[in-house]
Parts: sequence; structure tokens; C-alpha cells
Amino acid sequence: MTAVTDRTTGNRFRHHGARALSARGRLLAPPARPLRELDPWLIWPAVTLLLVGLVMVYSASVATAEGRAVTGFQPGYFALRHALYLALGVVAGTVAFQLPMTAWQRLAPWAFICACVLLVLVLIPVIGREINGARRWLAIGPLQLQPSEFMKLAVVLYAASYTARKLAVMGSFKRGFLPMASVMLVVGFLLLREPDFGAFVVIVCIAMGILFLGGINARLYFLLTVALAVGFVLLILISPYRRDRVLFFVDPFQDELGKGYQLAHALYAFSRGEWFGVGLGASMEKLFYLPEAHTDFLLAVIGEELGFAGVAAIIVLFAILTQRAFAIARQSISLERIFGGLVAYGVGIWLGIQGMFNIGVNLGVLPTKGLTLPLMSYGGSGILANCLALALLFRVDYENRQLMSGGSK
Amino acid sequence: MKFSESPLLSLRLSVGRARLVLILLLAAFAAMLVRALMLQGLDDERLRLRGEARKSGLERIAAHRGRIVDRHGTLLAASTPARAIGAYPEEARLTPAQLRELAASLAMPVPEVSRRLAEDSRFVLLKRQVAPKVADELLALKLPGLKSDVEYRRYYPAAEVAAHVVGFTDVDDRGQEGVELSFEKDLSGQPGSTRVLRDGRRRIVEHIERLRSPRDGEDVQLALDGKLQYLAYTHLRQAVEDNRARAGAVVVLDVDTGEILALANLPSYNPNDRQGLSGEQLRNRALTDTFEPGSTLKPMTIALALETGRVQPDTPIQTAPGRLTIGNATISDAHPHGLLSVAEVIQKSSNVGAAKIAEKLSPEEMWSMFVALGFGRPPGLGFPGEAGGRVRPFARWRPIEQATMSYGHGIAVSLTQLAHAYLVFARDGDLLPLSLLRRDAGSATGRQVFSPATARAVRAMLEMAVLPGGTAPKAQIPGFRVAGKTGTAHKLENGVYARRYVSSFVGFAPVSRPRLIVAVMIDEPSAGKHYGGDVAAPVFARIMEDSLRARGVAPDAAVQPPVQVVTTRPSGGRL
Repeated sequence: MTAVTDRTTGNRFRHHGARALSARGRLLAPPARPLRELDPWLIWPAVTLLLVGLVMVYSASVATAEGRAVTGFQPGYFALRHALYLALGVVAGTVAFQLPMTAWQRLAPWAFICACVLLVLVLIPVIGREINGARRWLAIGPLQLQPSEFMKLAVVLYAASYTARKLAVMGSFKRGFLPMASVMLVVGFLLLREPDFGAFVVIVCIAMGILFLGGINARLYFLLTVALAVGFVLLILISPYRRDRVLFFVDPFQDELGKGYQLAHALYAFSRGEWFGVGLGASMEKLFYLPEAHTDFLLAVIGEELGFAGVAAIIVLFAILTQRAFAIARQSISLERIFGGLVAYGVGIWLGIQGMFNIGVNLGVLPTKGLTLPLMSYGGSGILANCLALALLFRVDYENRQLMSGGSK
Repeated sequence: MKFSESPLLSLRLSVGRARLVLILLLAAFAAMLVRALMLQGLDDERLRLRGEARKSGLERIAAHRGRIVDRHGTLLAASTPARAIGAYPEEARLTPAQLRELAASLAMPVPEVSRRLAEDSRFVLLKRQVAPKVADELLALKLPGLKSDVEYRRYYPAAEVAAHVVGFTDVDDRGQEGVELSFEKDLSGQPGSTRVLRDGRRRIVEHIERLRSPRDGEDVQLALDGKLQYLAYTHLRQAVEDNRARAGAVVVLDVDTGEILALANLPSYNPNDRQGLSGEQLRNRALTDTFEPGSTLKPMTIALALETGRVQPDTPIQTAPGRLTIGNATISDAHPHGLLSVAEVIQKSSNVGAAKIAEKLSPEEMWSMFVALGFGRPPGLGFPGEAGGRVRPFARWRPIEQATMSYGHGIAVSLTQLAHAYLVFARDGDLLPLSLLRRDAGSATGRQVFSPATARAVRAMLEMAVLPGGTAPKAQIPGFRVAGKTGTAHKLENGVYARRYVSSFVGFAPVSRPRLIVAVMIDEPSAGKHYGGDVAAPVFARIMEDSLRARGVAPDAAVQPPVQVVTTRPSGGRL
């Protein structure tokens, strides 16, 4: 009993120093242990998702890798590359973690400009690689870079630095919103030229989310959301290929062998998995039925092999990650570290929204739009960008702890 | 700084807004959780079963096709395992060296293989009926994207010798010709099936359950005697070559059982290698082609006249001057003969004589006799395309037609029907049904067409036809008494008799107790000779002699030079 009392008082003491923290924030705050640098509720879900992702990418890709000439018929082709990018991501994340948030704030506009340049480059025919009618990849020697993934990270940084800078004028349409909106218009234009509608949606969500959480005028925001929603609907309607995707998501079995094929087989995979799955490696849908089994439709393979139990675990882990990102953000803002807080919000929105979209697409409740499952799906740029985003989250959390454990501000 | 612009306000606002955004996101995740639960845990199985149905299918398990053997059990057709080599073009990206290796082992040209591999299809068949050894060696090369399926290859050891009887199957093991087709049901058996799971490239991943085991086909034992078949075929081939004939056919029957012991046609083909096959080669002439039999039909007319008591063997018939005018048509003999006995009409093969005898018969009597002998309807062997021939209804016969029919014109029969009809003379007037399958003696009962006395009388006349003074001394066989009749018919071309002939000979031996009937037909001999006695009779003699020896039939005549025979039969006369 004494120990409990001691800890409570200790907490209370520190919270007093850290000004007002909500009761909820207090509950979720890490137990007092000096200089514990990494939040276990952040690190373990993230590590679990990354490692399960690696295993499932191997399981989902082994048949297609073995049966395709482009992979040289090596069963481990995708898994090996995924592991390499994961290792690279861990190294890059560790390096990124060393940089203080102040440095990130200074770097933010430059990172955004770099990402924009990459987005322009990818549209140039010689440099950009076209796959399945979409120009999304930059070929640099043996490596392939997907600029839109890095754009997501850059938007997090840029929107956070922008909002932190303009906190005082966020209520104003002209000075608070318009500059960001015009920048987003350019980015959006570039992304839709590829086309990469999924990345466009995620990036708009991140930017809008950060502006919203940064205190933009509520009435203005509401109007904007309506305008954006109308815009999205128009974008969907003017492109026959997007329109088909939306229509056939409603009933994939209407054209099961054509446009509804992918979703129909994703649903077959889930239903075949039932409660506990058919067992790791035993998926049938991954055997040349389900296209993109190791990228966009990885969750369907998880659903088939690991059942509802596996899918539920993944959803819960994503929910925990999102919740932790928001908690860290709130803590950071309450410590008046606005930029770090907004970055954490941005990362939370990114992982949460993209995860939710991908899961929704897999389960057939959202139209297919070419989004990967963050931290899990195959894709070097995606994994690398996700690892960097996590590193930023850890850094914000780390700086929060430094402050709270009595470090000078 | 105005209050509304205070960063503090934004901060306070953002706490509430952050909570709202977080709650929305978590609610969305919760909704996903519920959706997954409905889809996976609480679904009504319909979706799962539908997905299962997409992936499962039935796979055929091939039944082993039965063998075809001759009466001694010698193989005529057997299935040996083979492989069908195919490829998945998407996977089969071969290096030029690999491509050459593949083409070489399949014995296909390299461009052909690479063209097939470039096809925009999930699976292409490269070559079927590949020997298992070749296929195994090919698979050992471990080229990507290749597939080998078990199938069967039909092998015909007798090749062209028995091709028309045995027939052949297609690559899917279905009978196309001959016994392979007519006994398809017995031979093919019943393929089994198993339920399998297939991957997206339609390859089998798992066998779920065997629904039906395959039932192998049954063996079919033919009446055919491999040795006789070989003899018949080789002698026929020699004769067709020697006479530069268009075609030829032979049928050998067992007098005791009505079994077909040999049936050969020329031109023939090798069923093991059917490339560039023509319709001419495929024709089973002995069964499917009809021709005007000519004089080989005279014994029937005489037999009917004897049977009905209109003539006796020694009744004189005036055939001079070798011509007979009926209505506005005139029939003639090849050589004028003068006064002949009924027996001599057969021996000399006089058309005028036969026509005069036929004048004593009614059209209905003749028609009934032809029908009783099996003319005008297929012999019912179950063979594809068996011909029935043509016997016109007697009510519309004109006198000239009845006259020509008495010596085998204006009527069409197949060689097999002709051989069959001669059973009545070889036996004591009864007609056994024919059989393609092996049958034990006495198991079939015949229909009496002529009395035994008539049959014996005609048999004696037919023996005379082979003796010196007859039309076919070349049909004689040393050591055996032989009976038979020649036929030389003009071919009908567009309703006009052309200067083209079908030479035939039907006969049996030994006369003391007939065992075998041999019928020979040579179509359009063009090496100078065209009479049945010159063209068909020698072939008959060779086939009959070898066949009698092969079957171990005891000789029934002293081996004497034919010259001595002449002196013993002064009545035969020479003209």
C-alpha cells in the first residue's frame, strides 16, 4: 500500500510541475521510472506490427515470388527485401531519434521542398517508373523510391511547423488557412497526376487534421470539410476507374471475375479464416487468386491464416498506437511544445487513418484505393517512412519525459 | 494580442478537438472490429462456401483403356503411359539455351516452342503423347513453368496389317475408327473423379476427396487370327502391287463358327503414326464399300433353281450364240460356249446360262433368296459404316434386270457380305451370323437357306470352276480340294459401265470338309489382266494355302500335278 501511495504522490507532484493534464492523460501516463526513454505501450505494439508484418509478407508473397519470372523464382524475394528495408528503417529511425525536435522544426520546410521535388521528378517519364498505369516510383539504381510515402512524413513535419508558426493567426481564413491550402493544392495536383489517390486522401487528412487540432476556425473548418467532401466525390465521379472501384465495392459479386475480383477474393479469404484461421502459411487466396496479397491486401491473408483473432489483434494494436500518439501529442502540447505535439498528432492521424482505410478496404466497407497497411505491408519506402514517423513519435515522447523528470525547459 | 487569437485558446480548443478526432478514429477501428467479427466469426457460411466453390473442382482420373487382342491373346492395341507436356507462359521465361534444350527434347522447332510460350494464356499445351522417359529427362532439367500430366498412348503392334479392323483412338483416348470405335463402351471403362482445390493458376493444391474410383476398360478379344491376318495382308499387298491396282480387300471366315479370322484392306496406314493420312487409306473397303459382285453371285441363282426343282445339275442350257436379247438389251458371254449343263454354267461362268436359268425363277423368289443371304442390310457387326449394299424391291424388277442380277449386276454388296453368303455352300445350306469377336464352335446357330443337298451340289460345281476347264484353275492349292467362283465386274461410273473392273474370287477349302472361306477383291487392276481368274484367284490360292497350313488343316487330296486332274474329268472339257 505504501508503494502505491508513494507513486501517486510522486505523480501528482510532477503533474503539478507539468501544469494541467487531464485525468485520462494521467492514467495513461507511464509509471514513474526515471529516464525510461521508450513508452512500452508504443514500442511493443509497433515492434509487434512490424515483425508480424514481416512474417505475413513472407507468407503472403512466397507463392507469387516463386511463380514469377520477375522475382527470379525465389520464394523469399519479397520477404528478404522487406527485412532489409525494415533493418534500414530501424537504423534510419535510430538516427532520426537522435535529432531534437527543434532541429526537426528547422528541417521541416526543407524536407517538404525535397518531397515536392521528388513528386515532380516521378512524373518525368525517364526517371519515373510506370507500373500498372501509375507513375509512382523513382528508380535509383537497384532501389525504387515511392515519393508519396515520404511526402506523408514531410506533410506531417511541414503542417506542424506551419501551424506552430501561425498559431496566433489560425482563426483567420486568409492568413491561417489560405497559404496551407494553396500548398496542398499543388501537392494534391502532383499526386493525382501519378495518380495516387490513396496517398492524396491520407495527405489531405494529415494536413487538415493538424490544422484542425492546431486551432483553425471551427466554422471555416466545417465549410472546408464539406467543400473537400464534394471535391472527393467529384474526383471519383470524373474518373471512370475510380467510379468503378467505388461502385464495385458495393457489391463485388456483381462482377466477380472482373472489377469485383479483388474484393470478392479478399472477402473469401476473411470468411475462410473464421475464428482462428486456417493456420500460418495455409492461405489459399494468396495462391494467385488475391492480387496484391503482400501489399494492399495483406490483412486479408492475415484474416485467412490467423482468423478473426489475428485481425482483431491487428486492429487493437493500431488503435493502441493511435491512442498513444494522441496521448503523447497532448502531453507535449500541455508542456507547450507545440511543434512536437502537432507532429505526434500528425503521425497518429497518419497511422490511424491509413490503417483504418486499409482495414476498411480489406473488409469491404471502403472502396479500394491502393493504400498499404502501415508498418506491415510490403513496400520499402512505406516501411522506411513509417519507421521515421515512429522515431519522431519516440523523440517527442522522450523530450516530454525529459521535461517531466525535471529537465530544464 | 486579441483574446480570440491567443495561442492559449487554440491549445484549449485542441484538447477537445483532439479528443473528438481520437474518439472518431477509435470508433472507426471498433466498427472494423465488428465488421471482421460479422465476416469471420458470425457469418452464415454462405460466403465461405462460395469462395470454396471458386477454388474446388473435379479432376478426372483417367481409366486404363482395355486392350484389344486377337483370338490367341496376341496384342493388337494396348495403352502405355505417356505424358502431356505443357507450360505456364508467365513462368516459363527461358534462356535461349534452355529453349533449345526444351525444343530438342520435344522434337519441335525452336520458333514453334517460343511462339507457344509467348501466347497470352494461363497454360499452353506443348506436346502430347510424350514418352515417359523423355518427359522425366525434361523435368529433370528443372526448367521453370513446365508441367507434365499423365495420359495414355495407344500402341498398335500390328501396325498397318490390322489397321482397318482395330482402328485407332484420338489423343483423348476415345475410339475413332474400327473396333476402337465400335467397342468404345467396353474398352473405355469409366473415368473416376476426385474433388480438388486449385490455386489461381488452376493448379491442384490439394486432393479433398475421391468421389469415384476409375473403372478400367475391359479387354476385347477379337475372332481375328493374327497369323492369318498377316498372311492375308502381305499376299494382298503383293497382289495389289503386281496388278497395279487401286485397292484391294480380303476377308477370311471360319466356316465352323462364322468368325472373321482376317480382314485386310489396301491401301492401309500405320495407326501408330497417322500423319498425312488420306481418306483412301482409312477406308475399310471390305466392310464399307459395295461393288457389283458379278459372277460370284451366279451360284446363288443356280442354288435357288436347284432348290426349287426348276433345274438339275445336268439340265442342259443352250447358251449359243453367247448372246441373249431381252427387251431391247442384249447380254453376252466373254467366250461363246454352246450347250452347257447347269454345272458347266458355273464352271464356265456363262452369263447367258445364268440368265436363262433365272428366267425360270420369279423375281420374288430371287429377292427373298438374296435377302435371306444377308444382302441389302448391314451384317450387324457393330462396325462403323458397315455397308448394307443394295437389293432393289422385286416388284419393280424388269426382266432384263432380273437377268443381269442372276450374274451379279444391278445389285451391290460388300466383300464381307459376299464371303458371308458363301457360308451356305461351305456349310450344308445354313447361314451363321458373322462375328468380329471370338466365338466357340457350336455357340451360334444358323438359318437354313438351302437344303444340304442343294448346298453339296453347288459345292461340287464350285470345285469344278477351280479345276482345269473352269475359270479359275489358278485358285488350286496342292494337297487340298478347293471350291470357288470368280467374278469380273465392270465398274459403274455415273450410271455407265466403264472399262474398269473389280476382280474378285470367293472360295473355300478343303472341299471334303470346308474350314475356311477366303474372299478377295482387287479394285481396278491395271497391269494387263483383269479377269477374276487371273487376278483374284492366285491371291486366294496363296492366302488359302498358307492359312490352311497355319491352322493345321489336314490335306484332303493327293499332291498331284494339275495336269493329271484333267484326265480324270473328261466331262469338264476345254474350250
